[in-house]
Amino acid sequence: MTILQTKGLVKSFGQTPALRGATMAVSRGEILAVMGPSGSGKSTLLHCLAGILVPDDGEVWFDGQRLDNLSDDRRSELRRDRFGFVFQTGQLVPELTAEENVALPLLLGGARRAPAIAEARKWFGRLGLDGLEQRRSGELSGGQAQRVALARGLVTSPQVLFADEPTGSLDSVSGEIVMNLLAAAVREHGTTVVLVTHDARTAAYADREIIVRDGTISTLTGVEA
Amino acid sequence: MIPLGLRLTMQGGREAAVRLVLLVVAVGLGTGLLLVTVSGINAINTLNNASAWLWTGSNREPPDPAAAGIAPLWWHVGGDMFRGQTIVRVDVAPTGPSSPVPPGIPHDPGPGQYYASPALASLLRSTPADELAIRYPGHLTGTIGDTALQGPNSLVIIVGRSPAQLARTPATVRVTAIATAWPSGFEARNPNGLPNAPPVLPLQASGIDFILSVVALAILTPVLIFIATATRLSAARREQRFAALQLVGATRRQVSLLAAVESMAAAIGGVAVGFGLFYLLRVPLSAIPFTGQPFFPAQMSLSVPDVLAAVLGIPVAAAVVARLALRRVQISPLGVARRVTPGPPKAWRLVPLLAGVAELGFFVVRGRPAAVSGQIQAFFPGILLVVIGLIIAGPWLTMTGARFLARRARRPGALIAARRLADDPRAAFRAVSGLVLALFVTTVAVSVLTTDNAKLLRPYNDSAAANVLSDPLVGMGEGPSNLPAPSATDLARVRGIRGVTSVLEVHADAGLSIHGFGASAGLASCAQLAKVRGLGRCPAGAAVVGFPIPLSQVPIKTLANATWPAESVPAHRLNSLGISAVDVATNGSQQATEQARTILDGTNPYPVPQAPQTLGEWIASADALSNAYQQLTDVVILTSLAIAGCTLAAGVAGGLADRKRPFSMLRLTGARLAMLRRVVVLESAVPLIAVAIVAIGTGFAASALYASSEMQHSLVPPGAGYYLITTAGIVASLAVIAATFPMLRRITGPEVARND
Repeated sequence: MTILQTKGLVKSFGQTPALRGATMAVSRGEILAVMGPSGSGKSTLLHCLAGILVPDDGEVWFDGQRLDNLSDDRRSELRRDRFGFVFQTGQLVPELTAEENVALPLLLGGARRAPAIAEARKWFGRLGLDGLEQRRSGELSGGQAQRVALARGLVTSPQVLFADEPTGSLDSVSGEIVMNLLAAAVREHGTTVVLVTHDARTAAYADREIIVRDGTISTLTGVEA
Repeated sequence: MIPLGLRLTMQGGREAAVRLVLLVVAVGLGTGLLLVTVSGINAINTLNNASAWLWTGSNREPPDPAAAGIAPLWWHVGGDMFRGQTIVRVDVAPTGPSSPVPPGIPHDPGPGQYYASPALASLLRSTPADELAIRYPGHLTGTIGDTALQGPNSLVIIVGRSPAQLARTPATVRVTAIATAWPSGFEARNPNGLPNAPPVLPLQASGIDFILSVVALAILTPVLIFIATATRLSAARREQRFAALQLVGATRRQVSLLAAVESMAAAIGGVAVGFGLFYLLRVPLSAIPFTGQPFFPAQMSLSVPDVLAAVLGIPVAAAVVARLALRRVQISPLGVARRVTPGPPKAWRLVPLLAGVAELGFFVVRGRPAAVSGQIQAFFPGILLVVIGLIIAGPWLTMTGARFLARRARRPGALIAARRLADDPRAAFRAVSGLVLALFVTTVAVSVLTTDNAKLLRPYNDSAAANVLSDPLVGMGEGPSNLPAPSATDLARVRGIRGVTSVLEVHADAGLSIHGFGASAGLASCAQLAKVRGLGRCPAGAAVVGFPIPLSQVPIKTLANATWPAESVPAHRLNSLGISAVDVATNGSQQATEQARTILDGTNPYPVPQAPQTLGEWIASADALSNAYQQLTDVVILTSLAIAGCTLAAGVAGGLADRKRPFSMLRLTGARLAMLRRVVVLESAVPLIAVAIVAIGTGFAASALYASSEMQHSLVPPGAGYYLITTAGIVASLAVIAATFPMLRRITGPEVARND
């Protein structure tokens, strides 16, 4: 069953086209790897899927609802309540401790601090972060920061987790740890994952791969469209 | 959301803490200075109201002896002087228990009693009686309360007399009420047409407001620049944080709220610091005689609306500014993108500056308005326009300087600095803008005051004439026409008296024609004049000469060298003329001057409005306001330079923090620390020098125009002090830049590569 779908997405930055009519779909609970060379438009595709960018043309559908014409606030709510994110660098708020960073989406959603922190702490054990709750982002290694970001992405039990080069800044061992934890966690919760990567080892964790080239989805491998 | 905002504000690490502290300090300085200015205006109003009672019996407070149930009070206001300070003397005689009572005393003094202000009471106790106390009949019965005094140094005495005594005293009136407000128009005569002007005048509120407005502008503008600079510290980091928050679902409104909470927290802290500064500095500031004499600390007070406006207004303003600042940048969950890439500054930026200079020039051609309020409306917008014009023109001048540097650059440090300056001249100018404005303020203030001083009489205060005590005995034209001569024997006993000249009054109907003078001329004996140095001389062979009454009508610089016209007056006619004035030459000692003044006071049968005064005292009182302005200017210059130094430090440090990555990358690729230091120095020195030249030039131009139209005098170049201050300011600013070098070393170290 499709949870995310695009139809003829077009997106340009100034005179530079990034997407030229990209059409694709993601099934519920699926881990989809979006691959392609640098500058092919794979990150732009992810940003459009997640409601971060609004396409110039085309449509984005999420769970039967058109996403690209929602208001900025409504898309913010979607990101907060139903999506999770893990990017190449942690995008952690440096002023907050690790546990506060994980609890942040809950706090933004109106949760009180104590229950939000309690919920956040549950993820520290699962992701091998015990003892790091009070550390700031500057006091974490790259792999630890990515795992904190992963916890933050999963703390709201999102329907879709968007991961943009989640291991791009990590060594192979750290990258493998992060991906193992990510895959285990999403499979446990049935979370859909859109994983942008150009690393074949990372893509190997996916159920299916698509390749973006010159702003179009040129190759589909795996199962149904 | 608010607790989260507070948490982000309070626990954001060292950078955020430095930013918060700087913002609190900057807002605190601004608030403190604003409160001082407002309380200064309040103090002037309180001070004026406190002395309004002295105008009792004037034309605007007509006496009403017929008021039912109120026994009239005989009222006489006069002036006196001691060691250059004016003493206000009020003689009163109640006619019954219901007679009105002046403020500050429990009841009217009876004959033989007097109340004195605390400062005068102290002088009466500490000064030999023949120098002061014997001027006043009776004894001290109490002190006058603060509510009736302009300030702690006020010298006021209320002398009790009998109704019979005052009834015979000219210029006395009967009143049934004490004035509670200054007369709306200047009235120096009472309802009987006789002089009734206390020797204390109200401070011109509009003039003081103008001066305080200029002071506020001169100090608050650098403070606002400091606040703006501190606000931009670690802006890049804050904006990245806001992007991260948006990524995880924060709405724009939530981000705006977080930014507002941060700004309001700093503003609230700053307001608290500002009030702390105000109450800490109120007592020492009240002691500075900005208006010619110190205030009571309590006079520098704030009304409830003043306090509410500061407590509520400043944080709200900070929140609004934060909201507006966020509108300048487009923060998306992916990061920050400037909405518009700013183009290079255009030459139109010079227009406001030139318009300001032109506005000042207009009044040189057209002439200044006659009224003080008109002068304020004429000059204030021009000066304001020049100040704003400098800020607007700064980036263009910086870019011009940078392009010049880029063409000449031969070393990588100069090239990097020039390219960066040309790329973002606004940011580069911002760091030095406070200093540039301080240089402008210093140039204007010092050159205007130098010109003003050149007009004044101060240089003549050292001449022998300055020590001549002049007593216009019946100087106001009424009273007995023939007074007994002052006791020559009493004066002769005083050590330090060098000579006495009695000036005989020549009435218009006396049938005598005095050469070279108008109706107010007198005659002086050449024998007496020969003993009084500094008052000119007689032509050879003359026995009597025409002599000015009062002495102050002749410019003091011409007195010493004057040769008065010889007059031929028969001896019998001389004996029939009354004495109009006495001029006593002293050795300048306080003892001789005060003893002579006391004796001269005693020769008058009643208190007169104009006390015996040395010409030096007359000069000093004429210069008093200028001295006060000089002090105010010194405070403004030092304060604005200090604030500008803070702005420069914050600006340079903020610029370094924002560029630690590129700088650390340069070091990684082999750039030496010395090269980076050159970049940092050039980035500040180029805009500083480029705009400082224009600021100083404009300052001189504005001063010359102001001096020409308002002071009717050509600009006098400032002395060495100005060049010392200017050079010291620039050297200090270079030292401030050098103080960031350790930070440059630290933030460009290898550990910066760490990903946070």
